[in-house]
Amino acid sequence: MAKKILLIEDEQIMFDLLQKKLRGEGYEVSIAKDGEEGLRAMREVKPDLILLDIVMPKIGGFEVMEEMQKEPELKKIPIIVISNSGQPVELDRAQKFGARDWLIKTEFDPQEVIDKVVKQIGK
Amino acid sequence: MTEEKFYKEELKILKEDFNDLKTYLDEIRNILPVSVCTLSSFWVIVDINKATETLTGYRPLEIIGQPINFILQKKQELEKIKEKAEKEEKIVVEETLLTLKNKKEIPVSISMVGRKDREGNLIGYFLSITDTTETKKYQNRLEKGTKALEESRSALMNMLEDIEGARREAEEERNKTFAIIQNFVDGLLFFDKENNLSLINPQAEVFFDIKRSDIIGKPIFELSTFPTLGPLTILLGREVRGVFRKELPIKEHLTLEVSTVPMVSGEEKLGNLVILHDITREKMIERMKTEFVSLSAHQLRTPLSAIKWTLRMLLDGDLGEITKEQKEYIGKTYESNERMIDLINDLLNVTRIEEGRYLYEPTLTDFQAIVQFVINSFKEEIKKKRIKFEFKKTEEKLPEVKVDVEKMRLAVQNLLNNAISYTPSGGEVTISLKYDKDKIEVAVKDTGIGIPQDQQERVFSKFFRATNAIRKETKGTGLGLYIAKNIIEAHGGKIWFESKEDKGSTFYFTLPVEKRFEEFLKRL
Repeated sequence: MAKKILLIEDEQIMFDLLQKKLRGEGYEVSIAKDGEEGLRAMREVKPDLILLDIVMPKIGGFEVMEEMQKEPELKKIPIIVISNSGQPVELDRAQKFGARDWLIKTEFDPQEVIDKVVKQIGK
Repeated sequence: MTEEKFYKEELKILKEDFNDLKTYLDEIRNILPVSVCTLSSFWVIVDINKATETLTGYRPLEIIGQPINFILQKKQELEKIKEKAEKEEKIVVEETLLTLKNKKEIPVSISMVGRKDREGNLIGYFLSITDTTETKKYQNRLEKGTKALEESRSALMNMLEDIEGARREAEEERNKTFAIIQNFVDGLLFFDKENNLSLINPQAEVFFDIKRSDIIGKPIFELSTFPTLGPLTILLGREVRGVFRKELPIKEHLTLEVSTVPMVSGEEKLGNLVILHDITREKMIERMKTEFVSLSAHQLRTPLSAIKWTLRMLLDGDLGEITKEQKEYIGKTYESNERMIDLINDLLNVTRIEEGRYLYEPTLTDFQAIVQFVINSFKEEIKKKRIKFEFKKTEEKLPEVKVDVEKMRLAVQNLLNNAISYTPSGGEVTISLKYDKDKIEVAVKDTGIGIPQDQQERVFSKFFRATNAIRKETKGTGLGLYIAKNIIEAHGGKIWFESKEDKGSTFYFTLPVEKRFEEFLKRL
């Protein structure tokens, strides 16, 4: 059975591209366009991995992680953060909230995202 | 005795008495020190005494029978005397001239009394003449003395006036200086050579929200008890150390720029003037500018990432097959986009440097590993350009240094990137490490295009690119060395370079080794 990935990202072009890339690699991808939708989706879908943006409308990435920490079911899901910036302060905070990895969009290619996903949950 | 005989006898006695009297008078006249002349009623000299002979130099025979103007030649005065003599008993003339036998004239004073007979008829005059030459001389001397005295008096007065003027001028100057100090827009404090506060102007009182009377005369270490003065006393220390344009946040909405100026008069040290310049507004504008750049750079990143990923996926064939030509164009566009991303990243780094929140938790690190990491990221580039690359490590292991690893990598990366970019194919690039007691030294040497002599001063300034570098390589933001310098200096290090155009450049930097921390760790 294909691994399920939840992509929480507000920028259409970004989730379009990522979705295409991930599906091409054989993953099952669902999309949430903000944090609120994301939290709802993860309870429904129960994904194997979450790709999470930080700056989003309504609920941001950090708040999503904070919420997930409160629920044992959600806490177990590995997270890879995909963000526009990568300040050390932010990295530390994300790590504290259980993020497994961190990607800065301008510094990584879609292929490298796949590599990181594979590293976390395999093909 | 007959009557006739008696009278004859009487007459004889009378004659004898008369002769005695005459002799007596003559003697008296002749021993008188005052010159006396007897004049007839027609102003003819009829007799003179010895003193007159001595005074005029005339023998009696030469002068008796002469008119008065023989010796008193001032015609006008003589007329006046004659006129007066008819009305008054005694005439005194204080000052006239007497003509001597030798034709000289001498100053004299004269007095004259009329002679009368028994019936009261005027029969002539007595004239006494006093030589006033000596008096005159004395008077002259006195006059001269008086004049000199007058002159020195007025000179003294002038001097006093000058002194008064100078005093007034000094006072005016003092008042002016005082007014300047009082109304100066900068805050001013003056500490005397014992480091006691001896002056504070109103602006400084406002800055520190403090009253002059509460702190004046106090030594600087006592001022630290006033909360608003705390930061300043820490900056200046107990002995008012030299400070130049140090930024000092005092409270919210107040940042001062502090400078101290030692005051010296000749050889003597008077104390230190502390100048407090309000830069709150400048800081605010600077912050707004930085925030603007930071915000726009962040905003730019999102579309840049989208472009990057789209192009990448096109290139990788994820979005379907593309022709070779299409691939070439997209490849070039991808590179342009990468440069834009670099520029935005550099700009963000610069704004972070300028916001002063740059270094992040420095940790003890093996420095050689940082350099190795950066070298590894350039391996392909080095190979592509056929650059003879060498990494000269130290024989002994380097002591660990306390650094922000990410930032230090960035600094080394910027230096190595420059060395490789500006060295032509086949050139040499060497990185060497050195260790010296309390610091490690890194040198990045290349055989590249070098920096023109006339532009070397600006190498570390923001957006600087040397003219020959622009010609050779259109890439480059002009921010790399600025960022590197800020990173090195934030770690307490120093950065400098040697360069010759067309020969190459060597950039050096040092980092302090935290010995004490190291020893502390060893003891654990």
